[in-house]
Amino acid sequence: METLITTPTLCEARGVWQVFPQPNGQPLTVLQDVSLAVRPAEVIALLGPSGCGKSTLLRALAGLTPPVRGEVFYHGRPLTGLNPGVGIVFQSFALFPWMTVSENVSVVLRSLGLSPEEVAKRAEATIKTVGLAGFEGAYPRELSGGMKQRVGIARALSINPEMLFLDEPFSQVDALTAESLRAEVLDIWAARDRNPSSIVMVSHDIKEVVYMADRIVVLAANPGKIRTIVENKLPRPRDYRAPDFLALVDRLHEIITGAEMPDEAVPATTTPEAPAAQTVPVRALNAEPLPNASTSEITGLLEYLDARGGQDNIFRVAAETDQEFGKVITVVKAAELLAFVDTPKQTVVMTERGRAFVKASPAERKAVWRLALLDLRLFREVHDYALRRENRAVDRADVLETIALRVPHENSEKVFKTLVRWARYGKLFDYDENSGLLTVRDLK
Amino acid sequence: MTSSLYRVLLRWRRAPMAAAVDLVLLGSVVGLVFAILSLGGEWTHKLRPSVDIQLSPWALPKYAFFSLSRGIIAYCFSLLFTLVYGYWAAKDALAEKILVPLLDILQSVPVLGFMPGLVLALVMLFPSSNMGLELAAVLMIFTGQAWNMTFSFYQSLKALPPDLVEVATVYRFDWKRRFLRLELPYSSMSLIWNSMMSMAGGWFFLMISESFVLGDKDYRLPGLGSYMAAATAKGDVRAMAFAAAAMSLMIVALDQLLWRPVVVWAQKFRAEDSGARETPTSWFLSLLRRSGLLPLVFRFLRRLIPKDPVSRPDASSSSACEGKAAWVSRLLFLLLIALLGAGVWRICAILRMVPALHWRAILGSAGWTLGRVLLSTMLGTLWALPAGLAIGLSPRLSRVFQPVVQVVASFPAPMLFPAVIAALRALGVGLGWGSVLLMLLGTQWYILFNVIAGAMAIPADLLEAAKAYRLTRWERLRGVYGPAVFTYLVTGWVTAAGGAWNASIVAEYVTFKGEVMAAHGLGAQISLAAEKADFPTLAASVVTMSALVVLFNRAVWRRLYALAERRFSLNR
Repeated sequence: METLITTPTLCEARGVWQVFPQPNGQPLTVLQDVSLAVRPAEVIALLGPSGCGKSTLLRALAGLTPPVRGEVFYHGRPLTGLNPGVGIVFQSFALFPWMTVSENVSVVLRSLGLSPEEVAKRAEATIKTVGLAGFEGAYPRELSGGMKQRVGIARALSINPEMLFLDEPFSQVDALTAESLRAEVLDIWAARDRNPSSIVMVSHDIKEVVYMADRIVVLAANPGKIRTIVENKLPRPRDYRAPDFLALVDRLHEIITGAEMPDEAVPATTTPEAPAAQTVPVRALNAEPLPNASTSEITGLLEYLDARGGQDNIFRVAAETDQEFGKVITVVKAAELLAFVDTPKQTVVMTERGRAFVKASPAERKAVWRLALLDLRLFREVHDYALRRENRAVDRADVLETIALRVPHENSEKVFKTLVRWARYGKLFDYDENSGLLTVRDLK
Repeated sequence: MTSSLYRVLLRWRRAPMAAAVDLVLLGSVVGLVFAILSLGGEWTHKLRPSVDIQLSPWALPKYAFFSLSRGIIAYCFSLLFTLVYGYWAAKDALAEKILVPLLDILQSVPVLGFMPGLVLALVMLFPSSNMGLELAAVLMIFTGQAWNMTFSFYQSLKALPPDLVEVATVYRFDWKRRFLRLELPYSSMSLIWNSMMSMAGGWFFLMISESFVLGDKDYRLPGLGSYMAAATAKGDVRAMAFAAAAMSLMIVALDQLLWRPVVVWAQKFRAEDSGARETPTSWFLSLLRRSGLLPLVFRFLRRLIPKDPVSRPDASSSSACEGKAAWVSRLLFLLLIALLGAGVWRICAILRMVPALHWRAILGSAGWTLGRVLLSTMLGTLWALPAGLAIGLSPRLSRVFQPVVQVVASFPAPMLFPAVIAALRALGVGLGWGSVLLMLLGTQWYILFNVIAGAMAIPADLLEAAKAYRLTRWERLRGVYGPAVFTYLVTGWVTAAGGAWNASIVAEYVTFKGEVMAAHGLGAQISLAAEKADFPTLAASVVTMSALVVLFNRAVWRRLYALAERRFSLNR
């Protein structure tokens, strides 16, 4: 325990880059120059929309996937291989289905080289800590989601880790159970005389991170980098309805909307740990990235707004439709790209075109949609290129290449899928899966 | 020990059933020991110029036991091969590039073509005992069992759930614990299903190698296959029926006493959480669980083997261990390359001796055999598709017929060859067409089997929709049943066609009552070359057939698979 006091950081990422190859060979940058330190006795939350690399950062800190550039330090020394001070709780529970609760815990203890008596003792103790006493002989399939995650937590705690890593631990657990698990995890952490000293958690739930974390790391997507780090000094135990709590939630809302849906040129919030990471993306040659939203989600958003006087706060949309904010932001960005909505601050406002779209008949809607598509650089380019060809068609591979060139930081397969879905809805292109040909439709 | 024995006695007192079970168990152990002793005597027996087969039904248990033990010994080899080869292929990225295509080729090689050479070589190796012949039989069965098991194990290892792999990494499982706690449990279900298939496929080869006669030399082995052959030669219909019954009984017993309990026991390794599926049951396993003695035996065994040994996580030693593993793997890889190189070199040298004219004849006969393979697959589909749909779509019929079809499919077709040939001759049908029937005999079941499985897997809501909108029979077939079972049908075709290629070697060239009957085809070509010990022609024919099978797999079956996956997959 002395080391906890003498070293300033438990674990630290310095200038970490993570790049993964895509199926088509193009590299995809998931983390770009990320630096972050985990201090003793704190709870850090990594917050951001999906695809911002928060799980990747967690895995880099755990030593599961070493970064391609930059370094991870553990107690000041460069990390080679696995981080010895980490226990991980997985989003999908990741329990061995063929082992009972107690076997799932004791199998990792045996890997530590403990004596059989010690294994049995510790397994029993941690299972009791998470409130699963009596369930030792049950198989995972006999347990509810919340119970399963308790086993996951017990397994991580049993190895007495300095740091507890939680990867979206409560997103597959029902809301009430999640509530009690959050409090229980904090209770376990708060006992200062024992491990874990610190918790690093990944989340997309703003209220959850404000409830749990001392520092909230807001990440931006494509490529993933640290937008800002927010200190949370609210006293524990925290009250979801306290004015300070709500104010912090609101501040996070602002940071996220400012980052994800900037009104003109927003001055970038610089952070002490990643001062160089802020650069305005070069738009000159690039086309618009297509957010991964379906046409029915976009029309759904427009119908929703239409039924509420044409505008609403984006986080209220998320709350009312029971969606995670990252998903709603994606849909809003898609609608904004098509000029159906505008987003001053946190508000989503329908534009003229958006109103025209909602009022139109199904057939007219497609015409409006088609015009909106042709305003987008990517669609226009593919369309014009196809028209110059005799068969009015473009091969899938060519389109993928264009996407990789024009939207370099996106997963080109996903963008292609969105392109096909949107184009089909607007009767702009036909796509034949078997031949891989994208054909411009004749409108008569 | 005495106290636990006392507990057993107490249990017997309280539950007479337990006593009965234990009594039967003890009896079978004694019987097994006796049988294994006699098996040892058979293996080390002096090589006989010809084996004397007794046609009395009382001799059948002994013969059945001999056949069974050959199958089980071969299965043990197959399992060992599967674990080593599959593990190696999945873990070593470099070796994988060679091992997987090699497995694909091995799967396509018509091993029956090598049988004469194999038998002669092994008999020469053990000139004074039966060992050579027995080993040849075991090796033949092995080649019929191993490949699909290995593929399934390899694929399971490649498809491990990433989150579980991460758990094993984070919590520092060493390779032994990883294998025992993650990899083996995860792959066990598909490995068991493939083992059942393999065991069934192995009987085909067993029957052929047991009744193997080369020219005037008799290489038969005492077993069910030679019993049937002897009965047919004598025209003893009663003995033929007995043999078929014994074979069926053996298959059923193996299913009930071995595979069923294993499948039920392996339910705990099911990866998915859904508890909705009907769980299989086994009366035999429930009976075993009543025994008072067995737990005692298991406890004793467990004390002998330290369960799940504790490992010392020592960074330096584990990385040294990994380094050593990499070296071993590299060394094995080089050895494999050298062996392959030498093999290819030898084959090329032999092939060079084949004159061009011969090649043309071989290719011409290959066309005939290809035609027969396709015809038999088509004929099989023609009846098995409607029959399979009828059985699979009716829960009542499938409950009755599925186990029956399973047994029938396991029945080795070569056992029936003599009877069918006699019938064909009586009808005046030549082997040209007749061999198609012989091929069909063994392979049609694969199609039926898969169609039934496919029909049973059609989601109930699709069937209800078809009913609710009153689709006509034709519309249902075209729009619902056909697409839904297509993936399964392709699997059936691949297995059936593969089996038909192999069967052509014994179906196109038959010795019946001392008289040789042959059809024009590659299979006959192989058998003839083998009998005349014409190794260049044999090698050329076998290579041609292997190449054809591989080519056909790539060009036709794999495309159909891809199509089925893309268009007709129900879980996308």
